[in-house]
Amino acid sequence: MLINSKNQIPASEITPESVYLSRRKFIGQSSTAVLVGAAATPAIALPSGWVEEQGYSEGEPIGEKITPEDIATRYNNFYEFGTGKEDPSKKAHVLTTDPWSIEVAGEVAKPGKMQIEDVLKGIDLEERIYRLRCVEAWSMVVPWVGFPVKKVLDKFEPLGSAKYVKFTTLYRPKEMPGIRSIFSSVEFPYVEGLRLDEANHPLAIFAVGMYGKILPNQNGAPFRLVVPWKYGFKSIKSIVKIELTKREPRTTWNRSAPHEYGFYANVNPEVDHPRWSQARERRLPTTIFGGTIATRMFNGYDEVASLYEGMDLKRNY
Amino acid sequence: MSPAAPSRTGPRLSWLSTSLAKWSVGILLAIPLMLILNDVRIEFVQPGSGLGPDPGEALVERLGVWSIRMLYLTLLVSSVARVFKLPILVQHRRTVGLWAFSYVVLHLAAYFSALAGFDINTVFADFTKRPYIIVGLLALFLLLPLAVTSTRGWQRRLGLNWKRLHRVVYVAATLALIHLWMQEKASFMDTAIYGTILLLLFVERVVDFSRKIQRRVRKGTP
Repeated sequence: MLINSKNQIPASEITPESVYLSRRKFIGQSSTAVLVGAAATPAIALPSGWVEEQGYSEGEPIGEKITPEDIATRYNNFYEFGTGKEDPSKKAHVLTTDPWSIEVAGEVAKPGKMQIEDVLKGIDLEERIYRLRCVEAWSMVVPWVGFPVKKVLDKFEPLGSAKYVKFTTLYRPKEMPGIRSIFSSVEFPYVEGLRLDEANHPLAIFAVGMYGKILPNQNGAPFRLVVPWKYGFKSIKSIVKIELTKREPRTTWNRSAPHEYGFYANVNPEVDHPRWSQARERRLPTTIFGGTIATRMFNGYDEVASLYEGMDLKRNY
Repeated sequence: MSPAAPSRTGPRLSWLSTSLAKWSVGILLAIPLMLILNDVRIEFVQPGSGLGPDPGEALVERLGVWSIRMLYLTLLVSSVARVFKLPILVQHRRTVGLWAFSYVVLHLAAYFSALAGFDINTVFADFTKRPYIIVGLLALFLLLPLAVTSTRGWQRRLGLNWKRLHRVVYVAATLALIHLWMQEKASFMDTAIYGTILLLLFVERVVDFSRKIQRRVRKGTP
């Protein structure tokens, strides 16, 4: 896995020539488009094919089978579009992701609202093949395309007083039927958070793509968090606001059921969910009597253990 | 049980039509199971295509949903028979009830095999630590004696006590709803739907009971 960004091969050296050439072609085409007069319409935030044009350094295989793309894009929890696993893939296509702006606020020297293309400016894309462990005891292996969270946070210059990062998902009832449901016991907009040192860990990334393409809406387009050592619900989707705070933010699931979902939510086989065991997981796709595999501490990402030294992880679940 | 209504077409034909009706009801109630089993078959041929990427979970859930539907359908038979004055329907209640019990048993069997993988430690932990599973099991154990005593022979043997014993179904139906409610994560839609149905079934019984009392009171006063 590519963790140390200093040792990283520049993306241009890795990008296959064909992609590199087509990128130049893309740039040429878009400048022509501007000349022709398309400049009147707003810039397309992340056109389909953007990730391929941009190019990215390929992720290191982890020796585990990558979940078929069809499953990772059809079996989702994104409650803004309904609580069924297939609801997001059926209903998220109406979500407008263009234009998309991200507001950065709180304990930063340079707060402000930025268009997504400006946020991404000058940031090289990298692929990260990560295990994804859902709190519901199923898991996948997903090749994300993104970059370390730190690279974005640093652009806004966090102050010394910043201790936590609060992320907020888009709230747009018109396009999100799940928000309109009267039976929902979850409050929207969806909010998640990390300690600043967790967010700055090189494993924590913002993803803009998966499987070599831009993110499908149901997977959190156009800009989402991926924190592989925590349960999936921490990896908040379709982010519109990033706020650096002095105090621990109140997060959605933690508010909804504090005894079931803690702020930390680190993958931990020894701490059961009150309703089910977390010791094992079903790696999707599983066969009907396919059984389960053992869940690993921090989802197998032992390098994050130092973040929690001296903490009682049974209490800070 | 009300005695079968005297038929104008003669006893033989009436017996035929009754057993034909019973068989039809039985087959009708087996359709959801057939559809589920067909998906299991597809799942074996081509993994992921019959029951989705998490087939064990899907199988247990689908059998569970049909368990609660069949259980409430059993209660609905008596209500419809009373409200629409169709006592003939009551003869099908046993068929519906036994199918409900079968779906419940299959639901548990699917849990044992597809979710717990016959792992005794997992099962033991679940049966002792997980309240929603304990509630579900309790409902199943309450339904067991009802299934056993559903035959005519047991009805005769138990007499008035049969009716008393079978009122346990209301406890099981309530536990089934609690079992469902305890698993809800973010949406209470299913609990609201099945809760409303159960509430209506209870209301109909309370109304029926109070009518009977009134009738008795009226008869008692000259």
